[in-house]
Order: sequence, then structure tokens, then C-alpha cells
Amino acid sequence: MAMEIDDSSNNLQRKQSLYKSLDETFGVERERYTGQQYSQIYFARLHLMRTILYSLVDTWKPHLPVCTVLGLELGKECVIVGTLYKHMKLKPCVLDEYSKERTGIPLVRPHNFMHPEDHLVLEDESGRVKLGGTVISPSLFVTGNVVALHGKETSAGDFLVQDILEAGLPPQEELPFDTKDKYVVFVSGLSVGCSSSNPLLSQLLVDHITGHLGDEKEQILASQIVHVVIAGNSVELPTGLFNGQYLAAKDHSKLSMPIKELDILLTQIAAALPLDIMPGTSDPANFALPQQPLHRCLFPGTSAYNTFVSCTNPHSFEVDSVRFLGTSGQNIDDLDRYSNAESRLDFMERTLRWRHIAPTAPNTLGCYPFTDRDPFLMEKCPHVYFVGNQSKYENRLVKGPEGQLVRLICIPKFCESGVAVAVNIRNLECHALSFSTDLDL
Amino acid sequence: MVGHSVCCNVHGFRPYFYINCPPGMGPDDISKFHQTLEAKMREKSANNGSPKCILQIEMMQKRSIMYYQQQQSQMFLKIVVALPTMVSGCRGRFFEAFKREDVRLEGRFNNLQYSSFLFAFYCSSLLCLLAGILEEGMQIGTYESNVLFPLRFMIDCNIVGGNWIEIPSGNYRRTAKTMSYCQLEIDCLYSDLVSHEPEGEFSKMAPFRVLSFDIECAGRKGFFPDAKHDPVIQVANLVTLQGENQPFVRNIMTLKSCSPIVGVDVMSFDTEREVLLAWRDFIQEVDPDIIIGYNICNFDLPYLIERAQALGIADFPIIGRIRNSMSRVKDATFSSRQYGTRESKEVSTVGRVQFDLLQAMQRDYKLSSYSLNSVSAHFLGEQKEDVHHSIISDLQNGNSETRRRLAVYCLKDAYLPQRLMEKLMFIYNYVEMARVTGVPISFLLSRGQSIKVLSQLLRKAKQKNLVLPSVKRKGSGDGTFEGATVLEARTGFYAKPIATLDFASLYPSIMMAYNLCYCTLVTPEDVRKLNLPPECVNKTPTGETFVKSNLQKGILPEILEELLGARKRAKADLKKAKDPLVKAVLDGRQLALKISANSVYGFTGATVAQLPCLEISSSVTSYGRQMIEDTKKHVEKKFTTDGGYEHNAEVIYGDTDSVMVQFGVSSVDAAMSLGREAAEYISGTFIKPIKLEFEKVYYPYLLISKKRYAGLYWTNPEKFDKMDTKGIETVRRDNCLLVKNLITECLHKILIDQDIPGAVQFVKNTISDLLMNRMDLSLLVITKGLTKTGEGYAVKQAHNELAERMRKRDAATAPTIGDRVPYVIIKAAKGAKAYEKSEDPIYVLENNIPIDVQYYLENQISKPLLRIFEPILKNASTELLHGNHTRSVSILTPSNTGIMKFAKKQLSCIGCRTVISNGEQALCPHCKGREAELYCKSVANVADLEMLFGKLWTQCQECQGSLHQDVLCTSRDCPIFYRRKKAQKDMAEAKLQLDRWQF
Repeated sequence: MAMEIDDSSNNLQRKQSLYKSLDETFGVERERYTGQQYSQIYFARLHLMRTILYSLVDTWKPHLPVCTVLGLELGKECVIVGTLYKHMKLKPCVLDEYSKERTGIPLVRPHNFMHPEDHLVLEDESGRVKLGGTVISPSLFVTGNVVALHGKETSAGDFLVQDILEAGLPPQEELPFDTKDKYVVFVSGLSVGCSSSNPLLSQLLVDHITGHLGDEKEQILASQIVHVVIAGNSVELPTGLFNGQYLAAKDHSKLSMPIKELDILLTQIAAALPLDIMPGTSDPANFALPQQPLHRCLFPGTSAYNTFVSCTNPHSFEVDSVRFLGTSGQNIDDLDRYSNAESRLDFMERTLRWRHIAPTAPNTLGCYPFTDRDPFLMEKCPHVYFVGNQSKYENRLVKGPEGQLVRLICIPKFCESGVAVAVNIRNLECHALSFSTDLDL
Repeated sequence: MVGHSVCCNVHGFRPYFYINCPPGMGPDDISKFHQTLEAKMREKSANNGSPKCILQIEMMQKRSIMYYQQQQSQMFLKIVVALPTMVSGCRGRFFEAFKREDVRLEGRFNNLQYSSFLFAFYCSSLLCLLAGILEEGMQIGTYESNVLFPLRFMIDCNIVGGNWIEIPSGNYRRTAKTMSYCQLEIDCLYSDLVSHEPEGEFSKMAPFRVLSFDIECAGRKGFFPDAKHDPVIQVANLVTLQGENQPFVRNIMTLKSCSPIVGVDVMSFDTEREVLLAWRDFIQEVDPDIIIGYNICNFDLPYLIERAQALGIADFPIIGRIRNSMSRVKDATFSSRQYGTRESKEVSTVGRVQFDLLQAMQRDYKLSSYSLNSVSAHFLGEQKEDVHHSIISDLQNGNSETRRRLAVYCLKDAYLPQRLMEKLMFIYNYVEMARVTGVPISFLLSRGQSIKVLSQLLRKAKQKNLVLPSVKRKGSGDGTFEGATVLEARTGFYAKPIATLDFASLYPSIMMAYNLCYCTLVTPEDVRKLNLPPECVNKTPTGETFVKSNLQKGILPEILEELLGARKRAKADLKKAKDPLVKAVLDGRQLALKISANSVYGFTGATVAQLPCLEISSSVTSYGRQMIEDTKKHVEKKFTTDGGYEHNAEVIYGDTDSVMVQFGVSSVDAAMSLGREAAEYISGTFIKPIKLEFEKVYYPYLLISKKRYAGLYWTNPEKFDKMDTKGIETVRRDNCLLVKNLITECLHKILIDQDIPGAVQFVKNTISDLLMNRMDLSLLVITKGLTKTGEGYAVKQAHNELAERMRKRDAATAPTIGDRVPYVIIKAAKGAKAYEKSEDPIYVLENNIPIDVQYYLENQISKPLLRIFEPILKNASTELLHGNHTRSVSILTPSNTGIMKFAKKQLSCIGCRTVISNGEQALCPHCKGREAELYCKSVANVADLEMLFGKLWTQCQECQGSLHQDVLCTSRDCPIFYRRKKAQKDMAEAKLQLDRWQF
């Protein structure tokens, strides 16, 4: 499925790779809104996760009995499995928007809604119990996590947590052995149409990928790029255009200009090599996760190429049997609002250990009300786990207890940083491709 | 022994009353009189078990409280009877026998009917004497014959509600054969009771056991639960010790199995009989002092008893403290000027106070809805999930898990009243009120204001050796008098500070200042006869004469002085108090004292009360009017440029007890100091204790008409305290939320932002949104309670007609009596009656029925809007209601009515709405070129809806307190209920439309 670059002088051949989309689980085209609610997705999650956790409990605490919340007995040590719910004092409440009397002070939206008085509650189908003790820190967990807890009920009716078990990294296929360097390039936040985006930067990126830039050395490097993934926020449409009913004729062009520009950029890439585009928050796509692919009609030019794949967010695929999984950033951004960590990579690592890429969905992260499944559960461990639209480029290699190797990548916003990220699928090494025009090239 | 309940059988206290001693009757005649009386009594009421009816007749020197009298006392007969019921029990029959006389007598003795038994009785035995009396025209009447026996007892023993009573050791003995379920039962003589004033350590609250309960019953679809058919399926109970914040017993009795609940004792039974009996046994065992709940008086308790009757459980209703005393359901009517007339049911639970939070709420707070949900949202800041009674049966018929679900809901309903009571400190406030006014706590909820004043009056009169005549009730009475008029309002928008001068407790202080009382009122006859020197009397503006306090100190002024003095002390103590519980008690007390002081005036004016005296009340109001006018005169005379002030002061408005003055200065600070000066100066011109106080400044101030104004409220010159409105913020329930939001926002813009153009623009945008059908439906919902069925209403009413229509559509979910019916006004055929235009909001959502925006514009928002804007905007009406913004209108096409039933649905182009034949496509060939742009629009719409959908439904999960169970709540009071419903429907539609753009 690779394209060949016909360069008469050098005759560099673009490397080829085998691509397989695993997005099926994220599709909702067959789903309908028939009055279903969010309880079912929690139910499905708890059910699946519990099976995993129960199997782990035997080795974790073999001597302890496993209970439900209802079956707790005062003072008796046991293991319970359930969904966490974080009681948050500062969590914005939609009721306030509608019902509170107008006050003189505008509603302040802090960046992070943590508060020292927040506490965790564990819930299963049978009931809820408040969690106490210092072992479990409310700042590390969020509503929607499914965990196993070892502890006992106190006289106050709380559950004193003594130990926590997370599902841990899911099993991983072994990394295929390949001696050739092949790169997958990630870019996010092109934000075409945004006032701060620089068209020159984007063009530099495209030219580099397609091999139209630099000397032979660079072109050799470019020829090793086998796949490009655009992880969301490719365009930025002027806000407020859709709220009102009227859309004057001049606004029409305003609306479609950024998309047309993007189409032109993408056409150049797609003409050269396979390209995946994921929708993001600012793209003309739906809001709730999983976001459905951007419609082909938006890209009349690029759609003509069979190298162009419009895919879902989250997006999962394999290149030469190396498994990739990633999002346009909403899941990690939401974790940052409702929990604490040193770095974005920590959040990512946590989601791996929870085996769930978006635990805050549906509570604070919009998601489709699935009835029989939870597509955000990670059944298999990816080799590359990426998140788009982050403030800076970071990466980390995580080693799992069963020898899993996962490369975590925070892809920065291209329009702000001018950085794209390339991953070598041979050894999961990654490096930044920096295109900055500030350096007076 | 601490905390045990005690039943004390007090012996030796007998009911009695007084009558005038007819002239010429001496001590020797008493025994003969006694015999005839007794004989008559026996004859008419044989076999009442008591050996003697009239126990004693005694001659006593007393004086009537009515009118100023120069002689100190007269002779009265005190008649002591055996049983309290004897008086009223025989009244009717004796009345029959002497009907002819009554007709003749009625003209002279207006107190006849009420105390007819006693009077008629009297004249029958002493007929000859009567004839003589009649000719002389003397007043014969009974005195204090309408005092309730418990009150009589309390007054004579100096006991008040919430009192500590000591029975010294040796003066009582344990009852051998107990009659009650109390832990301790004793006998004693009434004279041995020692009542302790609620001061010092005796001001502590007893550790009452408070039971909060709630029942669930499985109604049939479409009917409100009826005790004859529908079983009681769950009873949730929480028992708390007063003063502690966690219940020490939590249990629930369920019919059929129920899964366990953490921290709750779940008791499941196979038959309903067992559930009911278990509850009865529980009550007897826990022995609560106070039973609380939400609407227990009118629903839960009567339902339990009627249900037990229907099931034939004869020994169920023993829930009082007396053994074998059956509780029965009685219909009662409670009528009060202040609270209006209410029909209710009464269940006696001897020895246990019923405290229905619903009743307390309706009494003490003005809210737009009294559902438990909205009350707890208002006071506790949390929404409660509301399970419609049609779902309850489904949950009950499910498995033990669904029943557990119901049980959790039921427990919450029992817990919320408990929380409310704690939060609003009802126990403290009511006990303090009982202590101050001297009535039992149960009277406070079941009776009006007047019994409280009467109790104080009787207590005071007893000290002064006065007796109160028993006056005939005049029914509703037309004896109205000129109320408190207000000064003409100079309407307009005031951009300069307006100082407000308030009279502190105006009416009580007038009564004190002018010594207005029953016993100081001089009858016009006596004015002529007695020839009182003018310096000893006050002639009120209405022409009544009252003697000054040097001749006779009034009782009412004395009561008031005590009340206000006590309030002052309580407030001072409150400042010093540290302990939050003591603070709660003191704050409750000062509040009770204030309310009591203010209700004295009302007592004299209420024609349905025990002892109305319009001479007093009309004098009070006339003095009040005079004070307001005097204040205006003084202010406008003193604060002038001639008097050395910068500006001429101007009184712009005067209310019942306040006067608004524009001093002309432009700073709040200056207005405050002038206000203070004026208050001090004018107070000096009035008789003590009438006092004018300066409290606040309004700046800016919007005076719309009398009793309607809005302004920013300043008590210190740095920052305003709040926005204060009166008579504007239409919290009335027959207004939709849109009105309230619109008005609040406008006032906010006008007063706080001082941005009148902004306010105008906001109004225009809102109206445009309304006309363009962009308004959220929940803002347009109007709610009314359904109190009667269709035939009950004489005139057809919107909500009632709608309920009928809904019943035809689906009987299961239609509102039944007692429900609140929410509706919106829809567009109907021309000339349709207003009541035909109401529709269920959910039905409207589901069927795209167009809203009658003109109705909302004209009948809902235009009047309140114009009221606000007319003082500040020229041509307000044309500008706001008929401007350019009203030109574009968008109307929905209904999907199920009229001609649409015959229409064939065809897909149309998403871009231009042209019908497209090929259903596979989203756009017509014409719009194909705009595909990207149109798609963006569609998908943006979906994105917005998804965001809303997620927010709303997760919020409901949060309220419900469970992630793994579906939300069942159907609380229509919830601000997001319709939005949630609408989001669900819109989402489904939008998704379908988006799917037409095949990928």
C-alpha cells in the first residue's frame, strides 16, 4: 500500500509496510439513541474488568475472601471490586448553570477541579461504600476506574483501604523482529484557519514527509516514513458560526476556507504515502467519544486517493504488526482536570495500568451511551500509545511486568510548537521532527 | 433514667368556667341553683357514667376584661363540672329546648350562640329571674367557657409548652396498673406539679426521640393510591435523638424480600398485615415523642390506618401512648386569615407530637413549589430523585433488587424531612414559640395565630383577676376596617440614594404608647357617663377613647412590653452565647417573640378569633397612618435648603411601617448620615416607645408603584448588600420561569450594571428567541396543582382540562389529584378557548407542537416587563414589544395533529428542504456543491447535542447516587427535567439525520 516516489536523480524507494485498521470497535454507525442511559456502559465496564480483576486476586491476596459492597462485615478483611466514584466539591454542576440565581460574580472555571475534601466511593451493583484511609489517594483516581481493594469496614460504615489492585497492563503481542528502520509520523493540532497557525510550517512538514525537502540524507530519512497519522484538531473553524440560525453568504466561505486549505495539504501527503486522519475537539466532527471519522465530503481532493483513511478517535491500527493506539487528547486532558500527576505521561501510564483509555467517560468526558460494551477497554496492549494536542513533546518507554514494552508519546500541537513526532517501528525509538521558522532558516 | 418517657396522671383538676352572678343572687341561693342545674344535666344527658355533673358552684370577685370599669370587681359564679366534654357535649340538646327564647335573646346577647348551652341552661332553671334580667338589659354571658381544657390546665398550673416539670419526691407514686406505653408512669395531684421557667439550665431541650418515616404504596396505574385497594409495601423509619445529628435507628419494613442495604436494618415480610403490625410494634417499642415526615398528616398516617381497616386489622391503630386507645382518622378544617382555609385529615396519636414538615413549610416559607424535591433543593441544595408512583408498582413486582432500589428511595424520603428539620431548626423554633406563648407544641401547627395570643391573654388576665368573655363567633365577618394605607408612590427610576426610615415594631409600639387594650377602652356610653378628664384619656384618630395608663394599665401593652423586653434580652444573650445549641435556642426564642408581638395586633382585628375588638385594631392602624404622614411632614419641613441643608428632602414613598426619603445627596454615605439624623430627630417627636430607625439606603432605586419596587440595598457605604425587590419578582407559580429569569436579569442589568440599553437589548434578544422558537421549553412550563377532578371545577381550567386529556391518552401516567400538572400553552385553532390550549410539555416535545408565543408575549412577559421599563423608558411598549426583533418568527410543524395525519412523509434536502426522490441521499443536486459546509452544520449540531446529552444524563446519575442503575427520576420540578428529555429526543433525531450523510 505504499506509494513510490519517482525521483529520477536518486531513485529513492519509499519503504512499504502492512497496515491494518482496528477501528471497528469504535464505530457507532450501527448504534441508535433509543432512550438508553449511561448505566449500561458502567455495567459493561464493571463486568469485564471484574472478570480480569477476580482472576488476579487469586495471586494477589489468595487468603482473602472476595465480597460485594453489600456483603461487607464490620472489621472483616476482604477484597471488593467495584467502580470508583469521586465525590468532588468543585466539580461543575450543570444544575447550577440553570437553576442558580444570578450572582454578581461570574462563574470561575478553574483549570483543575481538585479539592482537599474530595473523597472516593466504591460502587458495585449492590451499593456504595465510602473509602477511607491513606492508602488510596483521591487525587490519583477518577470516577469510572474499576479497581480491587483490600480492606475492612470500619464502625463508621467506611471501608478502610489497605491495598489497591489495578488491572495492570494488558497482554501484548510480541514486537515483530524487523531489521529495517521504518517510521510512522504523528502530527496533531495543525489548526488550519487558526490565527496562530503558520501555513509555511505546515507546508514544510508536508514537503519533508513527501521527500521534497533537504539533501539526500534527509530524503533517505523521508523515504523511511511509511505512515502519517494526524491526531486531531486539524482545522479550527471560527467559533459561534453554528450557534445562530442565520449564516450569511460571506460566512460560508469563512467556514469552508480552512477545510479547503487542509484538503490541499492532505492531498500532497496522500499522493505520497498512506495517511490517517483522526478527528479532534475542534474538527467538524461529533463531540462524544468515540468521535466518528471526518466525512469524506470535506476532503474532495484527498478522498480520491486510496492511501487516505479517515478514522475514528480513539484510533487503533497495526503497521507491520506493531500495534498503535491513540487519541486526539480528550481523555488525558480530562484526567488532568479531575486528577493530579507530574506529567501527562503519568496520566497515560495510569490509563495503561487501568486497562482503560478513558475512565472519565461518560462522567465528565462526553461519550456515546453504549449498551453492551465499553470500547475504551484495552484488551491488548499497544506497542505505541499516543495522545495528540498536548502542550509539549514527551515520550517514555514503559515496561510491563510480563515484558510488555510500550512507547508513550505526547504529540504537541503543531501550530504552536512546529513539532511532529516520528516513531521507528523497528525499536520503538522516537524523535521529534522540528519545523520552526523562528530560526531564520 | 435520663431520657425516659414519663406518663404522669394528674388528678384533681376539673374544668370550670364563669358566669355573671345575677343581681340579687346570694350565697344562700347557690345550693338550690346547683341542684336544679344538676337535675337538668342528668335529665338531658343520662348515663354518662359520672356520678355528678356539676361539682361545685362558687361565688367569686372578678372583673371582665372588656372595657374600662371604675369599680374594681363584680360577683361571678365559678361553675366546676366533672368532665371537659360536658360543656360542649350537651350544648346542642339544651339549645334545642330553648330555641324560642334564643330568637328573642339573640339581639341582645351576641355571645349567646357560642355559649348557648350554659346560658340556656341557666335561664331554664331560673326562668323568673331571667325575665327580670332581660328587662334590665344586663349582660349575662359566660366567661372563659371556650378555653380548651388542656390550655386551661396549663394556664392554671403555670405550665407552658416545652416546659420542665418537677414532681418532688414523695408527692407521687408509681401507677400500679399502667395505662400507657411510657417507660415510667406515675400518679400525682395537680397542685404538686412544680413548673420551671425555661431559664438557665431549664432552657435546655429535652432529648426528644424523633421518628421520621415514610411509606410507599403500590398504586394502580392511573390512580392515586387508595387505601381500600392499594397495599402498603414499604415503611422506612429513622429515629434520632434531638440534638444529635445521626439517626440511631434506621430500618425499613418491606413487603416481600428486599436485598440488604448498608447501615440499614431491612425487615422483609410476606404479608402486608405483618408489615403493618411490625410497624406498630416498632412505634410502641421506640416510643417516639415526635413523629415527623413529609405530608404524614394528610397522607402517610391516615393511609396506614385506613389500610389496616381495609385489611381488617382491628388492633393496628394503637400508635399513641395510651394502651388500647385507637387512633382514628378525622377530617378537619383549618381556617386562618393568615394561612387561608385548608382541609386536612387528623389522626390522633396521644402523647406523640406529629410534626409534618410539609405543613411547617407551607406555614413558614413562601416557595414556588412544596414538593419534597424542590424544598430540599431549596434548603439543602440537593436534588432528590423523584419516582413517579406509576413506576413504584413495577419496582415492587420485580425482584429483591428492584425492591431494594425502592427501599433506598423510601429511606431517602424519610431522611430528608429529618435533615430539613435539623437545618431549619424547627424543633428549636417551635419549642421556643411554645414556651413564649404558653401553648402546647401541637397547637402551633394545627391552629392559627390567635390561640397563642389568647393563651398569653388568659395567663395575664388570671394574674390580674380578670376574666375573658366568651364571644360568639361571627363567622367570616365583614367587619373590615381601613387598613394601613401607603403614601402615594412617586414612581420612577431614582439614580440618587434613597434613605429608608423604618418604624421598629410599629404596631406593638403604638399599642404600648397609647395604652390600647380591651380593659382601657371606654364605651361611648361611659365616655358620656364617667366624664373622664381629658388628660387621662387618649382619643384615637378613629374617635375611640382609651384611658391612659395612670388610670388603668392595659393588659395587651403589658404583654407586649414583656415580649419585646424578652426579645431584647434574648438578642443580648444571643450575642454572648458561644455554644451553637444555645445559640439555636436563643435565636429561635427571639424570633418567636417577634412573631408573637406582631400577632397581638392581628388578634384584636381578626373577626373569627376569640375576642375581636375592632376598636383597638382600627385605632392602631389609624395611628400608624398618622405616624407615616407625620414623618413625611417632619422630613419635608426640616430637611430643606432653608433649614441649612444642601437639598430639599423629598418623601417619595411610604409603606406600612417605612418611609423612603430622597435627601438629594448623591453619595450613599451622605444619605446615610442624613437618614440617621432624621430618624433620631423624628423619633423625638413621638411618644415612647415608638421609634423610627434608619436601616438602609436604596441606590439606585426603581419605584414602580405602591408595594412594587426594586433597588440595591446598602447598609454600609462601601458595598451594597444585595438586590432587594418587592412585589416584582414574580415567584407566583402561575408564571413560567422565563418571566422570572427575564425580570431578574433586567433588574440586574438596570440596577447593578446600570446598563439600561443592555437591559433593553437583553429583552429584545429574549423575545426574539421566543419568537424564533429557540427557547428552552422548561422556561415556558406553568404548573398548577390538581385539586379536584373534572366536575369539581365550575369553570374549565387549563391544567384540569389537560389532565383529562392526558387520562384519555394514557391513564397510567396522567396526573391524578394531588399531583402538580405542568403545562405549556400551544398554538391552537383560531378562537380556541384558553383552557383548550394547554398541553403536556413532554407531549409537545415529542410531537413538535408549536408553542403559542403570542400568549407568552402578551399574557406572561409583557406586563411585568412594562412595569419595570415604563418608569425608565419612553414608549417602552412599542420599543420592547413591537420592535424590529419581533418581525421574524419560526413555527414548528406539528407531527401528529390535524392535516399532518394525512401527509406523506418524504425526505427533503438538508440544505434547501426540497423534496428529494432518491432517499439514499442527503442533498438535492443543487446543494451538492455546498456539501462540506452543510455537513459541518449538521455535525456541529450533533456535537452540541452530544455535549448537552452527556452533561445532563451524568448529572442525573450523580443525583441518584448510582452509576450502575438507570435513572428513574421524573421530578418535574428539576430544572433539567425537560432539557434531559429534549436532549434525548433531539439526539436521536440528529443522529439519524447525520447518518443520512453516508460515509
